Amino acid sequence: MRRSSRTPFLVVAAAGLFVAACSGGDSITDTGATNPPQTTTADGSTPVETLAPTTSVAPDTLPDCPTSALADAAGTVELTFWHGMTGPLGEELDSLAAAYNASQDAVKVNLISGSYEETYDKYLNSSQSSRPDMVQLPEYTVQGIVDTESVVPVGKCIDDAGFDLSHFLPVALGAYQTQGVQWSMPFNVSNPVLFFNKKVFEAAGLDPASPPQSLEDLRAYAQQIVDSGAAKYGIALDSGFDSGGGWYIEQWFAKAEEFYVDGDNGRTNRATKVLYDNDTGVELLTFLQDMINDGLAVNVGDNSGTGYDNLLKLADEQQPAAMTIATSASLGPVLDVLGSGQFPQITGDDVGVGPMPGPGGAPGALIGGASLWIVDKDDPVKAAAVWDFITFLVSAESQSEWAAATGYVPVRDDAADVEPYATTLANDPRFAVALAQLEASPEGLTSAGPVVGPLREMRSVLAVAVAAILDGADVKASLDDAAEQANNLIADYNARNS
Amino acid sequence: MKRRLRDVPPALAMLVPSMALLAVWTVYPLVMAFINGTKSCDSTGRRCNDVGWQQFSNVWQSREFQHALGVSLKLAAMTVPAGLILGVGLAVLADKHLRGIGFFRTAFSSTVATSVAVASLVWFVLLQPEIGVLSDLFHEWIPSLKQPGLLRDPGTALPAVALSSVWAGLGFTFIVITAGLQGIPRDLYESAYVDGAGSWRRFTNVTLPMLSPSILFITVVLTTRALQTYAEVSLLTGGGPNPEKSTTTIPYLIYGRNSVIQNNLGLKSAAAVLLFVISLVFAIVQFRGFEKRVQYAR
Repeated sequence: MRRSSRTPFLVVAAAGLFVAACSGGDSITDTGATNPPQTTTADGSTPVETLAPTTSVAPDTLPDCPTSALADAAGTVELTFWHGMTGPLGEELDSLAAAYNASQDAVKVNLISGSYEETYDKYLNSSQSSRPDMVQLPEYTVQGIVDTESVVPVGKCIDDAGFDLSHFLPVALGAYQTQGVQWSMPFNVSNPVLFFNKKVFEAAGLDPASPPQSLEDLRAYAQQIVDSGAAKYGIALDSGFDSGGGWYIEQWFAKAEEFYVDGDNGRTNRATKVLYDNDTGVELLTFLQDMINDGLAVNVGDNSGTGYDNLLKLADEQQPAAMTIATSASLGPVLDVLGSGQFPQITGDDVGVGPMPGPGGAPGALIGGASLWIVDKDDPVKAAAVWDFITFLVSAESQSEWAAATGYVPVRDDAADVEPYATTLANDPRFAVALAQLEASPEGLTSAGPVVGPLREMRSVLAVAVAAILDGADVKASLDDAAEQANNLIADYNARNS
Repeated sequence: MKRRLRDVPPALAMLVPSMALLAVWTVYPLVMAFINGTKSCDSTGRRCNDVGWQQFSNVWQSREFQHALGVSLKLAAMTVPAGLILGVGLAVLADKHLRGIGFFRTAFSSTVATSVAVASLVWFVLLQPEIGVLSDLFHEWIPSLKQPGLLRDPGTALPAVALSSVWAGLGFTFIVITAGLQGIPRDLYESAYVDGAGSWRRFTNVTLPMLSPSILFITVVLTTRALQTYAEVSLLTGGGPNPEKSTTTIPYLIYGRNSVIQNNLGLKSAAAVLLFVISLVFAIVQFRGFEKRVQYAR
């Protein structure tokens, strides 16, 4: 009996769970912002001076990179490298690393793969001792990693070794710079391009050789495709956070030569708020919403699962779309998959690639993809070994092989003169589209893209708003709501990190 | 008494391995989650501020957590009864001495050997609206298989995840219940039969009471599993479809690739601790609630 007397209490507690579950509340993004940490260290000693939002990085306080230290190593240096390349991309990176390991015996690299998100989470949640010697992380992590104070900036190695950067794309290097410091080395560069079905274009009386450049063109093309019955939909749109719901919006702002966050995209000062709730944002998302409302576009949702739902809509036999926007990095894998001939709707040869249509038809794109970071292990030999492997991965030869196999843009222009990429470009102009977009990007920091601590979470917040808008919600109200949450995320992040 | 004292050192020695494992892999992380849940740290993790228990209540009251709690409870309400009824039903059906029954037993328990990841991928490929088998075959009768697709329709996404989850968990339930059935003495059925009980009476008055320990165990395990659902969501829907976030369970709110608290260890830990407490309350309520009705063999 003693036991059963407690039962009513527990039932009440359980009932309380359900009742509480029904009441509303503030956003979880507000909770952190109201509790800024004080700068006290765990042992009560004087706190280390942190980066205030407006001061610049003091390069002297950053770890050094003595690149000649590798010569002092006793025996082979073993490196651990966490990377975000999976599937065919991962196999290609494995083969590059195997070639490096076979080419010399001073350094042996061990690769550990996961998705970008897994790698980033694992890195943030690990202690410095359990972090790898080297890590590949996507473009949206720049500020987040800088604030972990855990890396040797590659700029230090570049200076120490007198490394020649003359062939590197300035825009690729610039994406990984803040306040004058080159934090990491671009390795795999991508940007969104337009994928389309050439067969459908021809059936609709459109020229596959001149895909749409501006948003007005895009609409006109879609209209003609739907009107002619060549395909059920003109374009497949998605609201994934690293595609249509987040990354593309950043791209469109760059194309419009507008900043996405303040502080010159966070490049000169720490960003404090987003700017996408302005007229440009409203105009852009109204355009997309109208495309769906008018039956010219189909919404494939948040592109979760495989991340290829929008591309698969091109292969749909019953209700296909003629176009979609996807990262140039998917070109290699897409051609591989379609080349097997399992989709009658579209074969590898039917795939057309054009620049990402944008406001006013202006060319240009932001750097996407990922870069290579040297983790500060307080060991000059390790840092020098990582630097040695990095120089291998960004050599013209490696970049040529990498770009030909994947569709990524080489980070240096002379990779195009080296086989096998030289032949790929000559035979298949589709591989040149992403590079041409980058080279055509306007000068200035709008083309460098936003750096802001919680950029990934901000993309998730915006992706929800974009999903609502594609479903028919009010454009301005949705963007305002997303902006408020994003600004809370930034405020919380900055409060914790300054 | 003396004899018992003498038994203590060897008993301790034998307990050490499992206690060490529990301490390192369960107790220590749990304590750390509690501690981290009271902190707000910068990106280095070295400079922290104690925000205390306030953070737990902030997370609890946030609309994201409340929404995820609702999703998790709905998922549990779908998967626990469905998994239990199907598991018991199949086990009772297969508990016959018939020729070829081994094939069915193997088939029904086969999902034990199937990881959640594999099961989810199977269902993903079946349900994928563009190239999936089910949408190709049945889209004329069920248009929502094609546009938007079961996993992309906010109304059907959670039931579709539950379907995959129930299917993947069925083998485990089947095996536990089958083992329970084989522990029921046959003479109980015989005397019930002699007393004139029909097959339904024998099921409700002999089988179910005698199975009650297994059923209680399965209920607690299935509930905990449902509250911890992560892999199915990650592979099938990514917490979507947006903007409803129809399948963002509590674990997905904490760990999901599009989590808005991804960067904030304090909030994540607080949410994880809350999930632990919720699971604990459920388990206690279930044990207490069923205790008196459970017939343990004597």
